[in-house]
Amino acid sequence: MGKVVFDVQYQTSLAFLISYYFYCTGLSAGSFMISTLSYGFGMEKFKPASKMGVVAAVLLLLLAPQFLLMQVGWPIKSVWNHFVYFNPVSAMSYGAFLLMLYPMNSVVYGIFMFQGNLKMTKIFGLIGIPLALAVHGYTGWILALGVARDYWNTGLMPIVFLFSAMVSGISMMILLIMARDRFFTKEKVINHDLIDSLAKLLGWLLVVDLFLVFCDYSVLLYSKQEAQEVAHFMMFGKMSFWFVIVENLIGKVIPMCIVFIPGMRKSYFWLILASVMNMIGILAMRIVTVYGGQALPLM
Amino acid sequence: MSNPHKTKKSDLPRWGMLIDLERCIGCHTCEIACKIENDVPLGIWRSWVKEIEKGTYPDVIRAFRPTLCNHCENPICVKVCPVGAAWQREDGIVAVDPHLCVGCRYCMSACPYEVRYIHPTKGIIDKCDFCSTRVDAGLQPSCVEACPAGARIFGNLNDVKSEVSKLVATKAVSTLKPDMGTGPRVYYIGLNTATMEIKREAKLVWEK
Repeated sequence: MGKVVFDVQYQTSLAFLISYYFYCTGLSAGSFMISTLSYGFGMEKFKPASKMGVVAAVLLLLLAPQFLLMQVGWPIKSVWNHFVYFNPVSAMSYGAFLLMLYPMNSVVYGIFMFQGNLKMTKIFGLIGIPLALAVHGYTGWILALGVARDYWNTGLMPIVFLFSAMVSGISMMILLIMARDRFFTKEKVINHDLIDSLAKLLGWLLVVDLFLVFCDYSVLLYSKQEAQEVAHFMMFGKMSFWFVIVENLIGKVIPMCIVFIPGMRKSYFWLILASVMNMIGILAMRIVTVYGGQALPLM
Repeated sequence: MSNPHKTKKSDLPRWGMLIDLERCIGCHTCEIACKIENDVPLGIWRSWVKEIEKGTYPDVIRAFRPTLCNHCENPICVKVCPVGAAWQREDGIVAVDPHLCVGCRYCMSACPYEVRYIHPTKGIIDKCDFCSTRVDAGLQPSCVEACPAGARIFGNLNDVKSEVSKLVATKAVSTLKPDMGTGPRVYYIGLNTATMEIKREAKLVWEK
């Protein structure tokens, strides 16, 4: 219609630090899920992954808020104000409490696990599941409730975040368990059954994740103007390399093929490659979603 | 949104603005007046004038759209602010409490009008507040006072005798993005497809 000849440049509000924060909470939530599979739900084959999972979950959740503190203008004031001036309708307001409760619960859960107290481990593991869902789901809600942006404003966003958290967490656990078994045990033998089960789980979660991306984009492409433009921006525009190639091809489709082909799944080389590719792809997904989702001007 | 002019408390003033785009000459005086009044740093604006060219020579026109905070009836920024720093005064002005704001920028990304900015030296959010200190002292906002064409009209929407109320009632006015359910209190006369044009071009940080 017209040609815009003068407009002000919009400042980027949420960018890479927030992406790293989402990535770390996702890895933490994913590895916590793995650790609760045996103690919380009785899946014994995942038991050797439990201790590794809870340690990784706690360490990553200590790292994650540091990115938040670097992002905000007033780090110390932000910690104080988040607890004192609670806004019940703001998703971010709950985050401060979740970021305290979840690592505390994970530490208690881990201590009972290392002591061998099965009953208490189960209790705190089951308390931890909703907390892990909440601590990562709320990050999806933060974006979903940023209603101005059509790319974010979808009910799928928390679910997409949860599934990407689980796949990246499993990939990280595969790498960590391989490294632990190979270099830090007396036998120096990798627990093949455990790795194989984790790889199969990874494959099926990747199927769901790709399906969710398909749902999201099919709706965006049929939706209103801004949604269509942002979908084109992601698929064919400047973000397409990161979205199509890095996130979905390298990060999801190729790892999914590797873990579903039995010959490749049995090979540790291909499995390590799939896990690394998936972790890179999910990091790209965080950047594409947070930074790419608000790159187009609204006014 | 059944009655867009309904306000919460009718005995209090409800400040609003009407911008007549047919009167606007695109001189950017309001931008400068706002910068001077509110000490807005370089590179950011509380209120700015967007310029749009339409048509091909000789049938060509340049249109202008002054943009500022819409002081919404249901502001999204107030809902999403995790610490309650974005707040709505009883007279409807949406303001930022500098003592509460921690600069998390969530409101910036949630505002459909992109009128919030992060202050480069203070590290907190800042935006148009209808020059609330001037309004409290009984003056007009500085952009309104500076406009040489009289394109901006400011006043109490709850007072049926005020100029802004009369114009909003009698003229064909529209607001920006009414579909967002925010209930903007900045009305425009002459808003059309050209002045609503959005330049959807992103300059990514890794581009030179």
